[in-house]
Amino acid sequence: MNKKKEAVAGWLFMTPALFIFLTLVLIPVISSIILSFTKWNFLSGFSGIEFTGVNNFIKLFTKDRKFKKALVNTVIYAITIAPTTVALSLFLAHMLNTKVYLKKFLRMCFFIPYISSMVALAAVFRYMFRTDGPVNLILGKVFGMDPVPNWMIDGSLCRIPVILVMIYAGIGFCVIVYMAALQAVPSELYEAAQIDGASAVRSFFKITLPLVSSTTFYLLIVRLIAAFKIFTAVNVMDSNGGAVSVVEIIYDEAFGKYNFGYASAASWVLVAIILLVTLLQMWGQKKWVHY
Amino acid sequence: MKKKNRTVKIINTIWVGAIAIIFLCPLLWMLSSSLKAGHEVFSLDFHWIPEVIRWENYARVWNNAEIPFWKLFLNSFKIAILGTAGQLLISSMAGYALAKIRFRGKNLVFILILVTMMIPAQALIIPRYILFDAIGLYGTHWALILQSWFNVTSIFLLRQFYMGLPDDLMEAARVDGASHYIIWLKVMLPLTKTPMITVIVLAFISSWNEYLNALIFLPTYDLYTVSQGIRWFLQLTDDYNLMMAAAASAILPIIILFLFTQKHFVESIATSGVKG
Repeated sequence: MNKKKEAVAGWLFMTPALFIFLTLVLIPVISSIILSFTKWNFLSGFSGIEFTGVNNFIKLFTKDRKFKKALVNTVIYAITIAPTTVALSLFLAHMLNTKVYLKKFLRMCFFIPYISSMVALAAVFRYMFRTDGPVNLILGKVFGMDPVPNWMIDGSLCRIPVILVMIYAGIGFCVIVYMAALQAVPSELYEAAQIDGASAVRSFFKITLPLVSSTTFYLLIVRLIAAFKIFTAVNVMDSNGGAVSVVEIIYDEAFGKYNFGYASAASWVLVAIILLVTLLQMWGQKKWVHY
Repeated sequence: MKKKNRTVKIINTIWVGAIAIIFLCPLLWMLSSSLKAGHEVFSLDFHWIPEVIRWENYARVWNNAEIPFWKLFLNSFKIAILGTAGQLLISSMAGYALAKIRFRGKNLVFILILVTMMIPAQALIIPRYILFDAIGLYGTHWALILQSWFNVTSIFLLRQFYMGLPDDLMEAARVDGASHYIIWLKVMLPLTKTPMITVIVLAFISSWNEYLNALIFLPTYDLYTVSQGIRWFLQLTDDYNLMMAAAASAILPIIILFLFTQKHFVESIATSGVKG
């Protein structure tokens, strides 16, 4: 076989992917790092770029109260959305796998929100949680709550609809992945446990949970990262800035005010968080996952 | 014992079913509201089925004077189809090269691609904006299409699948003097149908849900996607019923598509999760 010909073929097959990779990933990564150390309003043209060292980062962490709020909110989103979604999904997948009738129909009900447009879901949830919306109608009429909460206006409550819509939209994906993982658990294990007199709850915690731990880990990380990147739900639902997220800040700074330098710095804070989560995954996978 | 199992199964079905109904409620409420008059949506006197069913709400959304939804649909479909097709072709070629062709620098390229996988696209929008603005792609659908052409997950998924195909398949064709291009197109490509469907499904869903890039790169009404259309009704009008009709219009076609391709959809998600 001709080695040179082989190499040419290899690079030719890679060319389209590498071209897009270079222009839309690698060069942007480098320029975005450089921009994060500058003060630059895009409207002032390329001559307006001014190097300011780590000033952007200092400003982000010490002076920018909105960014601090966004950071706190985003962490709250991540630590509420990811575990709830994963736990609920495991539970539903476990139930769906063998213990119910109408399995396919029920699975479909949980899956539909996942394939639905996030903008559409967020818009519907925004109206559902209006003070005069159907959620409060139920709280007031059925549960007799008075006064009903101002979900969208109250600064501390407005994150809850965002969290709920993210869980709602994310469960379908996790249920499907869990159902596939659960099918791989050999049924002899359950039979053996049953013969030994173990209860269903016990065999769930002693057999199912350890055997799907790698899937649990994977899904937790995927949902954590998705939550850190949260934008659509916040952009559609947040009316007064109370639910603001990090990507929302990046978007506002960059395309509302054209502060490209400052927005780049904010986006690298996000990258750092996501890298940290990914490293945690590599470390944790070794430690906790049983096969 | 058998009878007890059946009772348990019925009880389980009932309360998992109850959760499923709660899951459908927001979508049913959306459908119900989309057929009401504007003032009925938040009326205290709540009915699931409106007294007068107003199908004309959908006509008003689809033939809207400023942002006709049929046009937004064409835009969204154009972006999704061209984006998915490009991603599939490019990922398949790269996956084949990374799995089946020996050339220097391959490992370096692969590692470089994997490392950048962790950097979210949200961190790259600013340089991409500068680039697209400079080369005149700002304000065109290509700004969204091109971005979806490079996808690490797709490349990785296809590479893994190509690795699993035996080399003997290639060798036989090689002896007959076939080039890599012929082997990839005629021998390998037909064998990768399963992962290709996975790539298509995932790429289509993510393109259909794309929002941030649409906000940034598509500033005028004639370029709008379905996502932007919903936002327009939400923020610029008080027509709650029309917003609901717009949201339903965005969701229903995908659900119908899903009903016809359910098996592939579910398998795709499952494999992407297991391998991912």
